Amino acid sequence: MSPTLVVDIVVGGLITGGIYALVALGLNLQYGLMRVLNVAHGEFLMMGAYLTYSLHTAWGVNPLLTLLITGPASFGAGLVLHRLLYARVLAGEAAEALESRSLLLSFGLLFVLQNAALLLWSADLKGYSYLAVPLHFLGSVFPANRLVAAAVALAVSLAFYVFLQQSFLGKAIRALMQDPEGAQLAGINLSRVHGLCFGIGIAMSAVTGSLISMLFELTPFIGLPYTVTALVVVILGGLGNVAGSLLGGLILGLVETASVYLAASDIRLIASYAVLSLILILKPSGLFGR
Amino acid sequence: MAAKLALALLVMALVAAPEILSPYYRSLALAILADVALAVSWAFFSGPSRYLSLATGAFFGAGAYLTAIVEARVPWPLPVLGGALMGGAMALLVGALALRLRGPYFAVFTFGLAELAKHSLIWYETGVTGTVGRLILAPPEPWTLYYTILCLAGLAVLTALALRRSRWGYALAGIGSDEERAETLGIDTTRVKIGTFALSAAFMGAVGAAMAPRWTYLDPQVFNPFVSFQTVIMALLGGATTVAGPIVGAVFLGLASEILLLKFRYLYLLGLGLTLIVVVLALPSGLAGLLRRSSPSPLSSPPAGERAG
Repeated sequence: MSPTLVVDIVVGGLITGGIYALVALGLNLQYGLMRVLNVAHGEFLMMGAYLTYSLHTAWGVNPLLTLLITGPASFGAGLVLHRLLYARVLAGEAAEALESRSLLLSFGLLFVLQNAALLLWSADLKGYSYLAVPLHFLGSVFPANRLVAAAVALAVSLAFYVFLQQSFLGKAIRALMQDPEGAQLAGINLSRVHGLCFGIGIAMSAVTGSLISMLFELTPFIGLPYTVTALVVVILGGLGNVAGSLLGGLILGLVETASVYLAASDIRLIASYAVLSLILILKPSGLFGR
Repeated sequence: MAAKLALALLVMALVAAPEILSPYYRSLALAILADVALAVSWAFFSGPSRYLSLATGAFFGAGAYLTAIVEARVPWPLPVLGGALMGGAMALLVGALALRLRGPYFAVFTFGLAELAKHSLIWYETGVTGTVGRLILAPPEPWTLYYTILCLAGLAVLTALALRRSRWGYALAGIGSDEERAETLGIDTTRVKIGTFALSAAFMGAVGAAMAPRWTYLDPQVFNPFVSFQTVIMALLGGATTVAGPIVGAVFLGLASEILLLKFRYLYLLGLGLTLIVVVLALPSGLAGLLRRSSPSPLSSPPAGERAG
């Protein structure tokens, strides 16, 4: 293996992994806190991507600045969806029934969002070019937009991690994850924190979408593969384990990039599904689970 | 008595249908009967056990692709039988691995199965056999297909009815309400789960195999996750813990999709999503639950009075 190939795989894998980490973090926040497995997660990514695309092509807004719009807009949408849909299911249900019902709700949401996007933007490929200049790095070449997207994704992920560790609200979130009853006894408003976290999770997905719109062409169908990837990452890192998602995202990015470089590109999905199966069977609590 | 008479009339009408109906309505009836078979066989496992399976598309696709591979080289009912064996075998394998997983893990695992099968098949076909699709040049007569599907739908309904009143069915409901307790009570939960899962998958594989000749050209896209979703929505819309529920749901959505899917494709699918949301929020026991308020809901409360003991 030549040194250039190693750089290609490692840097390429970290770029992909950084993006995966951010999508997975949002999904994991929703699951870890309220046991809602949001399979429509990737659809919010798709919506964020289209929003950035439309803002950029219609009004020439800088794609990176659109994060300031897609983020808050999707956060608001998350709050509303939580109030309208999930809060009702979450109220007073046995754990397992709750998981199945909220899963079905998000499948419904997936259909709604995907077909709304098809009606709004049609099934044609949409895309634009931004920062598509080559950057030379240790003898390899990477497009600048990928590096920027990965850097922003990693920065947002790390900022969220620090927020979770340091801030008061972050501590409340972690308390609810560890012991919902005890945390509520200590005066934490469960429903409010749930709503906020659902919004934050969806905002993370939409922001990732905005970043991805700089890199790839869009169709209304791009969401589901990202949901699947995020699920693999979340399960890899452990459900409810935020730091695990960060590491899991980077690991999966590396595994996938390596399999594409060393084997074939159509092996990518098979590789990630194989990783998922192995983890589920051998260690369902995730690589870093207790 | 009146109900039995109506049932007898319905069966007679279904048997006589190919003679009476125009090709268009025969094909519509065929599609709806296939949906009935899928929804009923999904519900007799996932309804009582509450293991949310999204593998329908994978089993269906496996059966369909098997028919496309053997094509006209074997006489007709054999591909259907092969599809059933294929679906059952896949379910045994998947079940042995995945049925230890509870809640969303199982749903996720089965959901990925159709995608995995599709991509593995594409990889195999392009890399090894050098094809991307298969033609079915000599499909069986339309009426042969119709009666095959009718038999499968009928068998699925009879299986669901038999299962409900059997020890096996009670054990499955027991697993659904509290798996650990069921195990403590001496139920071999692994055997019951995997056995029923394989039985339901056998029906799905057979339906796939029998539906394949309707398309002259098949490629790995036949492993369609939409089939999995549609089946779940049909069963839940009707009510997954009853036998009549999935039938009602399949007929209702089958007709709706026939009328709306071609003209307003995206709007219809959007409506399908909204339907699922409304069903989960407002109708936890489906349309059948509206008629019979006492019936237990599939996913929100344990089926009272159906606990194994």
